[in-house]
Amino acid sequence: MNRTFVDIAGKRLALSNLEKDLYPSYGFTKARILEYYRRIAPFMLPHLKDRAVTFTRYPEGVEREPFFEKRCPSHRPAWVQTAEVVHGDTALTFCLINDRETLLWAGNLAALELHVPLARAGSPGTPDAMVFDLDPGEGAGLAEAGRVALILRDLLSGMGLMSFVKTSGKKGLHVLVPLNYQEATFDDTKTFSKAVAEIMQKHYPDLVTAKMAKNYRVARIFINWSQNDASKTMISVYSLRGRETPFVSFPLAWRELEELSEQGHLERLQVTAVEAVRRAEGTGDLFHEVLVKEQKLPHLY
Amino acid sequence: MAVQGIWNGTISFSLVAIPVRLVTAVEPGRVSFHLLHTRDYSRLSRKMFCPLEGTMVPPDEIIRGYELGPEHYVLMTDEELESVSPERSRTIEILEFIDLKEVDPIYFDHPYYLVPAKGGEKAYQLLVEVMSRTNKAGIAKFVLAEREYLVAVISREGALELVTLHYSDDILPHEDLSPGNDMSSREAETQMAATIWKMTGDFNPAKYSNERRVRIMDLVMQKAKERAPVEAPASADESEEGPADLVAALEESMRKVKEHR
Repeated sequence: MNRTFVDIAGKRLALSNLEKDLYPSYGFTKARILEYYRRIAPFMLPHLKDRAVTFTRYPEGVEREPFFEKRCPSHRPAWVQTAEVVHGDTALTFCLINDRETLLWAGNLAALELHVPLARAGSPGTPDAMVFDLDPGEGAGLAEAGRVALILRDLLSGMGLMSFVKTSGKKGLHVLVPLNYQEATFDDTKTFSKAVAEIMQKHYPDLVTAKMAKNYRVARIFINWSQNDASKTMISVYSLRGRETPFVSFPLAWRELEELSEQGHLERLQVTAVEAVRRAEGTGDLFHEVLVKEQKLPHLY
Repeated sequence: MAVQGIWNGTISFSLVAIPVRLVTAVEPGRVSFHLLHTRDYSRLSRKMFCPLEGTMVPPDEIIRGYELGPEHYVLMTDEELESVSPERSRTIEILEFIDLKEVDPIYFDHPYYLVPAKGGEKAYQLLVEVMSRTNKAGIAKFVLAEREYLVAVISREGALELVTLHYSDDILPHEDLSPGNDMSSREAETQMAATIWKMTGDFNPAKYSNERRVRIMDLVMQKAKERAPVEAPASADESEEGPADLVAALEESMRKVKEHR
């Protein structure tokens, strides 16, 4: 194996197979993946902080089956922080990605996709955001997801809630409503998001379904409200995706979504790793408010 | 006992074509009864009932609907369905031969026998022997009663068995079914055996799609996009709503959203 040792901030990191092309049909080597995570780190780390991360690892590249890793690998360097998370009767040790070196270490494991829960490890029952996972069914795509996201934004805004949107890096969009208050519970976010999804389905039956059944999703956007659960994880903002092209789950300004929607160009929403760095360094973290904005869900009690 | 054939045609591969009849291989052991009217013992027939109108519905008022969402259907006429149905075929064309042991039994659906028709006896016997010696099964596509089946043709105890297979999409848990297989270098002795070897591949069920299903779904999607699905009156099991206050506030917000669009 081809190893390179680097020392960053007093931490020694062994990097291997840097020339290996993990996106063979596009051409994106592990060296470039690490370069991506190195440069996106200042924007991404605040979102990963203290979250029990699940890795989707692609050691043989994106054209081969990945594997999921919840348990933090036992061969981890001593400086990787971890957290115990209890699922049912079993406690698992998860990795926490709290610094750039750990992010690069994960990249070196070909953990292209980093999935995180909506709550931090220290308070696993307290979601700090509510999410709407807009998942296009067969025959639908980003164009329809974009339309649904814009309606959703206006609907939530009418409820006094500010929301933020990112690409999933695959076919869909994620709309997040920051909460950031201690009393938030998954019961509340689930009740609220389900009611929203059902209203959307009722008023836009040709565009939206709130039901998981595959039939119902044909040519529609499935608003997956059930992601609002302590046991669920979602792709982290700024994470790479394991598909043909190194697309990233990337935040968008609502105005950009609106303009692309008006021009009928929503299918072009995907953001590649290279563009992601350029954009983030230009505009800063468009998802910063998701971390700090305090909002309470109204009309629940 | 003379067995009733359910299909006549030929089984073919490469340049070989053997006339055969398809006969059913299993008879369900179930005892069947008819439903009779107690007053006059006449056979009863089934009718379709409309619960909304409380009436019987004549056949010319019945149409198929594909359920897209709660109470939302895409309509599909008999003609449209027929337009995507496969043509009847007179041949069972073997596409390739595979090692029988590679096929996970989960794929087996329904068994039939193939029996030689007049003039096909000799070639049939030869095929049975060669397939049995090489331990190969033939994979074929075959249309029976307007459905296209993926089938395996297997040599068993001196006869050919035809088993319909499930398409890989129909199998629920994902299984990797094609372990790399080294073909043994056994000498092919006859022309037929040589052809079988030449047509041998790994069993990879994923490469055969249920084309009729794909075509029907394409049609459903196309129709769903072209015009709005029909709406059925809400059925009794209306899904439960969220807290009344929340639903009212959302409805109010939605009203404003729609005003501005």
